[in-house]
Amino acid sequence: MQSRSLDDKNSWWFFAAIHGEHISKGTFPGWGLIPGPPAVPTSPLPSRSVRDRYWNQCQHQSWYFPPWHRGYLYALENQIRSSVIALGGPTDWALPYWDYLGPGNQNKLPPAFAEHTLPDGSPNPLYVYARFGPENDSNVYVKIPPISTSCQNETVYTKKNSLWPGYGGPDTGFSHNGGKNGSLESNPHNLVHVQVGGKISPDLWGLMADPGIAALDPIFYLHHCNIDRMWESWNTQVNDNPSDINWLKGPASVGERVFIMPMPGGNTWTYTPEEVDRPYLLDYNYDKLLPVMPRIPRDMIAERFTKLGIKITDGFADMLMDLGEKSELIGANRGSLELSSRGIRTKVVLDKTAFGRTQNSFLEASVTRLPDYVYLQMENVKGGMDANTLEVLVNERPAGYISLFGLRNASNKDGRHGGQGLTFIFDITNIIDELYLEKSLDLDSLDVIILPEDEIPDGLEITVGRIGIYREQQG
Amino acid sequence: MGRNIDTGTAISALIIFISIFFWLLLLSPDQGVVVHYHKTMTGPSTASFKMFIAMNPLSDRMMGWTIMVLAMMLPKLITPVQYIHEHSLKRRRFLSTILFIGGYCIVWILMGLFMNAIILVLGFLLNSSWLPVFIIGSIAIVWQFSPYKQRSLNRGHIHRSLSAFGWESLKDALLYGVEHGIWCVCSGWALMLFPMLLPVGHNMAMLLVTLVMLSEHMEHPQVPCWRLNFRLKLFRIIMAQTKMRLKLVFSPQTQITMR
Repeated sequence: MQSRSLDDKNSWWFFAAIHGEHISKGTFPGWGLIPGPPAVPTSPLPSRSVRDRYWNQCQHQSWYFPPWHRGYLYALENQIRSSVIALGGPTDWALPYWDYLGPGNQNKLPPAFAEHTLPDGSPNPLYVYARFGPENDSNVYVKIPPISTSCQNETVYTKKNSLWPGYGGPDTGFSHNGGKNGSLESNPHNLVHVQVGGKISPDLWGLMADPGIAALDPIFYLHHCNIDRMWESWNTQVNDNPSDINWLKGPASVGERVFIMPMPGGNTWTYTPEEVDRPYLLDYNYDKLLPVMPRIPRDMIAERFTKLGIKITDGFADMLMDLGEKSELIGANRGSLELSSRGIRTKVVLDKTAFGRTQNSFLEASVTRLPDYVYLQMENVKGGMDANTLEVLVNERPAGYISLFGLRNASNKDGRHGGQGLTFIFDITNIIDELYLEKSLDLDSLDVIILPEDEIPDGLEITVGRIGIYREQQG
Repeated sequence: MGRNIDTGTAISALIIFISIFFWLLLLSPDQGVVVHYHKTMTGPSTASFKMFIAMNPLSDRMMGWTIMVLAMMLPKLITPVQYIHEHSLKRRRFLSTILFIGGYCIVWILMGLFMNAIILVLGFLLNSSWLPVFIIGSIAIVWQFSPYKQRSLNRGHIHRSLSAFGWESLKDALLYGVEHGIWCVCSGWALMLFPMLLPVGHNMAMLLVTLVMLSEHMEHPQVPCWRLNFRLKLFRIIMAQTKMRLKLVFSPQTQITMR
């Protein structure tokens, strides 16, 4: 596939561009400025209509994220299998997955992708120079933690009327303005992208760390197969995908482009989430799924009840439904923030009246009246480079990690997000619970620290429009 | 456990309802002041111009213009109002929304003063002529496919961060409205002016322009360039949703959730 030309729909390059491309960009990450291997072509371009139809389809910060990528993997697998068979290989060839959260040293890059040459001395098409790893030293592996399977604890694919986007991502409706990742997309998907990609200078980062060049790296597809496997594992844990017609019928139902892939033999495949809802519909399966998570939501709620001194009775199992309703802002910092390499500390003020409702929810808590959930949102986060990870602490307690995958595109005023940037959400219910129990919650001084994992180069500052704290009444 | 109606849907429904109210007001027989003007029977002269202005008071025209802006533009404000609702303290949501819409309307009203002055002068000089329609129509078509229009549409997708507390929150809501209004005027001025110049059929043209403006506002931001781009997202949504629902009516599937 790499030997085929850019305008060949069955080429490696065309497939990478289906995910996203920066072919005409004059500076890195413009495709013409990517240091090889691989030697990435920028011509001959297919016609405008072909580009408009196939390229830049990837779905992120959306509930279409899992199904679009499943169809994308299926199409690529068919392309490769067709070539494998033509070369006399096995007829049941299938894409492998990178089980980086598996036991032992599986978090390390599979060796086949690290070798510069094949045994016969020819260049290894799986090797990519611009793959710098989490320490930016070309030692490629996945850091555990922060990368985890915690998303598998979610029980709802897309939460309705809630700030929390759920497992698969937010319902992006008729106008896509969210910019918020679902749990699966946030961790492990985004974190793996940025850790594998890494960066070595302000002008050069790894292919995996930017959506417009990520699919040029062969490890991209093994990473996504693992994400696909996690989705199927989640479904196998008796979690349902949406039954909403706008999800089932795909973005074409809300006036957006259809999912479309080139298939072997010059065929074209258009598909909807409904048609890729489960792998068996595409006639494939995984040899091994993730084990059922040891901490199921019921246990987590029970744990919270115990911590807050609420007596558990039989009825509380009913509360495992999508409870999120009636979100409201209860506090925020003042002014926007600019992050430097040293990180930033800010004071978030909680509104006395609004937070009073959360305090009441603690006082009135019972098995039928769950106390509020509390979320922290980093809103309108913008910047010029994706290859970084931020850790957020609230009153010096860890709230979580986020990767900035997709930040550069989302900050482009003429890009799909209109320059809105991204919004990141953290569930800080446990922290608020602890502060409440310790009686150390000061309305005027919720202390938020944001620490970048890597240096933030001059000229590529990261800005945060606002940090908001939200309560979500349960039921 | 019962579920509340989705907040975003409730906001959309309320805004559309208010917009329909203003449309009814606009199309009522008493509201000809928006685009009609009373003509003088004499030729152009200072005296006849004074009479023309007296017969067409600007205050009446601006009242009609404001109603028209509210009728046509309110549906375009659904997303920003949802944004304000989500990002404001509960007790400030309503006031912030009013300030946002106020700021937005101020920009269109200022633009309206200028546009109505042009319309009146053209009406006086070129009584019932199709020439201004042809000229502005041509400019509107060129503007429609220009990178400047696309850039303005893109900027209309900016939702600024809002302060949560004090006067800052009210100021931010007002500025958000003004900013949104400026980009809306930049992208839509030609489309707004065109139906105002039509000697006949302006109501139908205004309705059509509303749908076009709403549709183009729903499209994602795109790279600004000269391009034949009809931005028909609203029509694609209507077609797709109608097709899906008809299909379900004739072959119902119980596991599918309808909105």
